[in-house]
Amino acid sequence: MNLNRLHSLAISESGFIFDPTTGNSFTSNETGKYILDSLISGLDEEGIIDKIFQEFSASKIEIENDYNDFMQRLRLYHLVENN
Amino acid sequence: MNKKLTIAVSGINAVDNPGPGTGIIRALKESSLDVRTIGLAYDTLEPGIYLDDIVDKTYIMPYPSVSKEIFLERIAYIHSKEKIDVIISALDAELPVFIDIKNQLEIMGIKMLIPNKEMFKVRDKSHLKSLGEKIGINIPEYKICTSFEDLYKAIEILDFPVMIKGPFYEAKKASSMLEAEKQFRLISAKWGFPIIVQKFIVAEEYNVVGCGIGDGNNIGLFAMKKMTRTSIGKVWNAVSIKNEKLIELTKKMVSELKWCGGFEFEVMFEPEEQEFYLIEINPRFPAWVYFASACGINLPERMVQYLTNIEYDSDSDYKSGKLMIRYTTEIIKDISDFEQITINGELSKPKIK
Repeated sequence: MNLNRLHSLAISESGFIFDPTTGNSFTSNETGKYILDSLISGLDEEGIIDKIFQEFSASKIEIENDYNDFMQRLRLYHLVENN
Repeated sequence: MNKKLTIAVSGINAVDNPGPGTGIIRALKESSLDVRTIGLAYDTLEPGIYLDDIVDKTYIMPYPSVSKEIFLERIAYIHSKEKIDVIISALDAELPVFIDIKNQLEIMGIKMLIPNKEMFKVRDKSHLKSLGEKIGINIPEYKICTSFEDLYKAIEILDFPVMIKGPFYEAKKASSMLEAEKQFRLISAKWGFPIIVQKFIVAEEYNVVGCGIGDGNNIGLFAMKKMTRTSIGKVWNAVSIKNEKLIELTKKMVSELKWCGGFEFEVMFEPEEQEFYLIEINPRFPAWVYFASACGINLPERMVQYLTNIEYDSDSDYKSGKLMIRYTTEIIKDISDFEQITINGELSKPKIK
């Protein structure tokens, strides 16, 4: 998975995301921002899901579904690309 | 301290289809230069005439289509009064005349940074295909039309929806033959031929403003994304962006054409293919040029500095994520101002008592 685009994003504490390459902006909830920050810091899927499981009160299946939905969104917006 | 410069600027029609003149003048007034600004107007109700906080004096010009001689005569008259150092032409329709009289203006002591005839022709909407191939950018498929017969043939090949575009200005989407015929008739009546019928692509609009100096180099580039547009396609809100690919394509265009003067590089970005499509190259600064100036890339200032041998910056270092918000406002003037510009063809800024 190519995560290069994520590194150029401007992500604010409020979850507002600005892509300076395309000028597009997005909003994200707390979990989404958590996933983004984790991806940028280099965590893999398993690590991110474990981390969320430890910090948020949700089941693993729920977290996996949310993670996959969020990743699909990132692909849709071309913020991450499959290699 | 540099001497006071007199800069004449056209396109001060800051209306719903805004000319670039008032943005250029505002950029000059806020620059490091000491300038007296002269507005060149074609209509007595062009808002720039009445913006006396930025335009020091305005003269009504004859339409460039009337006669080259009359056009030059009028500039000579204005020059005799104002001692113009530089003219910044901001309207596509007058540029061919300025190209023709550039040498005479130079002899009079007036400088201009504008493309030559060949550059002007190569960037013409009807010649984009070969330019696109040279600089490595896609061009949406298009056909050149000068008759209804051409229009029907073009639509048969391109299929709906299409964009119907005038030779200088205006582009309308058409999704049926009825709409296409209507737009073809309206746009050709307003701007003449040829009409360009272009395949419609679903994409986002991006623009780069810049200034070339004729040797393949530029003295600054600034890119933005259009966030909202008016019903006639003019940018209303925009955000500054940093896109290396877009900047590289623009640099290639400047280098390939050895572009001379201000320009606007208009592209569409197709998100699925992640590809840029060149829509057109406008041969002058766009109406939103002040956006670049406010972000530190003051191209009108740099152009004047280049022409008058004053040291200038040529970097393209600006911040992404700056917003441009256009808005409407009103100015209230006395009817005597309208009288003066109508009767005398010129209007001065009121003297401070």
